[in-house]
Amino acid sequence: MLTWLILLPVVGACVVGLLPRQRRELQLPLGIALSVLPLALAGYVFFVFEPVPGYQFTEHHVWYEPWGIAWSLGVDGISMPMVALTTVLVPIALAASTAITDRTKEFVVNTLLLEAGMIGVFLSLDLFLFFVFFEAILIPMYFIIGIWGSERRVYAALKFFIYTAFGSALMLAGIIALAVTHGEQTGAVSFAISDLMTLELGQSAERWLFAAFALAFAIKVPLFPVHTWLPDAHTEAPTAGSVLLAGVLLKLGTYGLLRFNLSLFPEASVDAVWIMAILAVIGIVYGAAVAIVQRDLKRLVAYSSVSHLGFIVLGTFALTSGSLQGAVIQNVNHGLTTGGLFLIVGMIYERRHTKLIAELGGLQKSMPMLAGFFLFMTFASIGLPGLNGFVGEFLVLIGSFTTLPVPTIVAASGVILAAIYLLWAYERVFTGLPETEENRLLPDLSAREVSLLAPLAALVLVLGLYPNVLLDKIAPSTEALLDHVVASTDYQVPVPGRLGDVFVAGGDEG
Amino acid sequence: MSLPEISWIAIVPEIVLSVGAAAVLLVEVQWKPAPRVLGAIAAGSVVAAIASSVIQWLLAGDAREFERLGELIKFSGLIVMDGLAVFGRIALLAVTGFGLLAGWRYIEGLGRRAAEATALILVATAGFSIMVAANNLVMTFLGLEVGSISLYVLAGMSRERARSDEAAIKYFLLGSFASAIFIYGVALIYAGTGEFEVIAIQSYLDGFVLFSPGVILIGLGLVIVGLGFKVSAAPFHSWAPDVYQGAPAGVVGYMAAVAKVAGFVAIVRILLTGAGALEADWTPIVAAIAALSMLLGSVLALVQSDVRRMLAYSGVAHAGFIMTGVVGASTESVLFYLAIYSLQLLGAFAVVAAVSGADNAESDLDAYRGLARRSPLLAGSFAVLLLGMAGLPVTSGFVAKFGVFSDAWSGGHEWLVIVAVVASVIAFAFYLRIIVVMYMQESDATTVVVPGTIRWVLAAAVVTTIIWGVLPGSLLDLAADALPL
Repeated sequence: MLTWLILLPVVGACVVGLLPRQRRELQLPLGIALSVLPLALAGYVFFVFEPVPGYQFTEHHVWYEPWGIAWSLGVDGISMPMVALTTVLVPIALAASTAITDRTKEFVVNTLLLEAGMIGVFLSLDLFLFFVFFEAILIPMYFIIGIWGSERRVYAALKFFIYTAFGSALMLAGIIALAVTHGEQTGAVSFAISDLMTLELGQSAERWLFAAFALAFAIKVPLFPVHTWLPDAHTEAPTAGSVLLAGVLLKLGTYGLLRFNLSLFPEASVDAVWIMAILAVIGIVYGAAVAIVQRDLKRLVAYSSVSHLGFIVLGTFALTSGSLQGAVIQNVNHGLTTGGLFLIVGMIYERRHTKLIAELGGLQKSMPMLAGFFLFMTFASIGLPGLNGFVGEFLVLIGSFTTLPVPTIVAASGVILAAIYLLWAYERVFTGLPETEENRLLPDLSAREVSLLAPLAALVLVLGLYPNVLLDKIAPSTEALLDHVVASTDYQVPVPGRLGDVFVAGGDEG
Repeated sequence: MSLPEISWIAIVPEIVLSVGAAAVLLVEVQWKPAPRVLGAIAAGSVVAAIASSVIQWLLAGDAREFERLGELIKFSGLIVMDGLAVFGRIALLAVTGFGLLAGWRYIEGLGRRAAEATALILVATAGFSIMVAANNLVMTFLGLEVGSISLYVLAGMSRERARSDEAAIKYFLLGSFASAIFIYGVALIYAGTGEFEVIAIQSYLDGFVLFSPGVILIGLGLVIVGLGFKVSAAPFHSWAPDVYQGAPAGVVGYMAAVAKVAGFVAIVRILLTGAGALEADWTPIVAAIAALSMLLGSVLALVQSDVRRMLAYSGVAHAGFIMTGVVGASTESVLFYLAIYSLQLLGAFAVVAAVSGADNAESDLDAYRGLARRSPLLAGSFAVLLLGMAGLPVTSGFVAKFGVFSDAWSGGHEWLVIVAVVASVIAFAFYLRIIVVMYMQESDATTVVVPGTIRWVLAAAVVTTIIWGVLPGSLLDLAADALPL
């Protein structure tokens, strides 16, 4: 089942790749149609998924026995939302790419391969397999930014590649070290996460390994001060690239911190709480502050990601039920809202061929529907109650307050700053009267564009009004993760910090 | 008078190759046929050599299984027919076959001298093939020289190009110097142990505690220098960029790949088998060479503007990665790396040969501008091979790197692995640079004509890069069986 979730996009890529050159008009529609198949499969997995801890739908095939590597897949409450998010965003990103007329086939093939890689990362239960997907993703993304991006695309693509590759190279050394240690302690080399969780690492070894993994994921998130690749990559990438970069690729970092750092190195994680929290808070405030002064709308949204992802890292390392659930659901929320914002910015760019805020203005008059969607996504991003962003940020903040009160208070200012930069941007771009002729005559959203934004908006609303649709499935896994951390360290979750203590998480339990 | 028993089977591949070379020359003299006929003779002898090597492989496997290892020592200990030798030989022969295909347009273009080039390639392979099977260090030297001297001549085959002459002279002078250092090292090892045979050296070193192994260590050091030159490891690499750039594009891939395979098999045999007992003494030297090669090769490749020079420096870096596997004392990961890298290297130079064209033009990076639009399949194959050499997942290059890294790590050389991963990130930058030029820049140059023979080489290189990247088990199992005696 899960194997097919990875293979379907690969098969789709092959089918599109084999299309004859004369049938150019078929390439994109066929790609979109094929990318709906994994969405359907992921939807099935989502509804059948039981709200219990542990991995479900597991598969295990030995890959190469002497090295202890295996094709080992499974989903739990932490990875399942990410898989669902990925499969939702890919068809939308593809459908938003009608502006790409040059080498469309290669574009569709790269996007589908990217999807396979992203799904693979979230499903892998074997560190070797995880690394294969984690690193393989760089190739299609590199091409997407480098070939179909805007002016400085080559620079941005290379910067993206080298930054991420540097982080993952050290992680590779860490993965080898873990497997070798497992070999020394048990006599058999293994890369299975469940095996490696039982290792007895010395304190210093554990800290080094934590650092190697954390660096790789921090670059991906990106955390301050290794975030500088992000504004370039996001700004230069084509719309679909930005959507998938912000929507899914950044989440590989936060997902990795949750899945690997917390469960493989619990003691080092507990020791590093303050470092990670401070970096997260710096990211929240710094990202927001820099976003305020951006002149380029796309860059503004990019910096808002730095800020928003800081909340997720803060929640991850605050180590309470609420903060962990908040972190997981905020992964999804950010993917939906920022994905939506990048789509809208892309639509503005397709019409007006500029992303500079100063050259836009009064667009509300000519494009009321587009403005409406932008405002809606802005509100979700700011965390207006009733929309999804509120649920995630509120959970993170309330969950983190019990263990990290001071960083949480500072982080809360990020919510206000978000309101400033996003609403101010809205004001400058959409309100007032259009000053130039070009801005006055822009056509509003077409039916196709509405059909791209509407599903995202609907999900934003559903998750805002009834988050338990997701939270019920997330909670058992985050609780199990917290139990693991508590059991393997002398860390105690303060009261109120567990599920039973907090009213928001379990609904009626509190 | 009784003649000693001659185990022909151990040298059938070399006999077949030599007969093939002689036949090519004689047929040329007698009938002056079309080059195609000479190619068929050469191809036939390579195929026959591969077939006999496969039989050797099965015999070697049987001998190991039934613990009759003594049977694998042939010609009174001059050569052996163990898994290591046969694996190396098959790799060399595969490289030769594909090398002939990749260079065929060039060889054909030589006209009446096509026979010389073909014969030289076969003789070079026969020499290196003896080298990988040699148990006696003098035999190693003989094989090395037969192979190297053929390569010197091949490098200078394009007489009309000044660069080709320069390359040949440089290669010859530095190469003979390295050979001299090697043979001096062999002499010192003999002075210290009284033995030429690797197996005898091994039992000598295992059997005695040496109070002053100085002479042996100096000998080993010189042997490492001599072979380090042949595999273009830093700091003995300075010839490689000039030779790769000057020698005819068609045969450079072959020259580079056979020298690497044979050199590393000899290094593995001498260091891991012969001097295994002195591991603690030679490891620091080899580790230093490995680290230097990886860093220097990757950094210098960054600043090249010629694809052949870039591949030369990347070859230096790869020598370092393979040395990392030697430091990890693992024949399996070294052999896997050698096998996949030599095919990728051949494929990459086949692309260079195609782009440089029949007139063997320079291979400036500019010539690759916009290749993805002009010749999508050629650019796509090159991209796969470059990503494979860069060691990205889903290619065999990743498996190979992972293998040498994990062996070095479990051998306790953590620092070397850290250097290696950093070097591989630096290396990404220049592999990507070629991809940038091909995919992200435009050019109005014309389509590149890819000869059919090169297509075969590219197809084989690309398919194996991906297959062994996804399912490495088949080749890894073979490499694991390819044990030295």
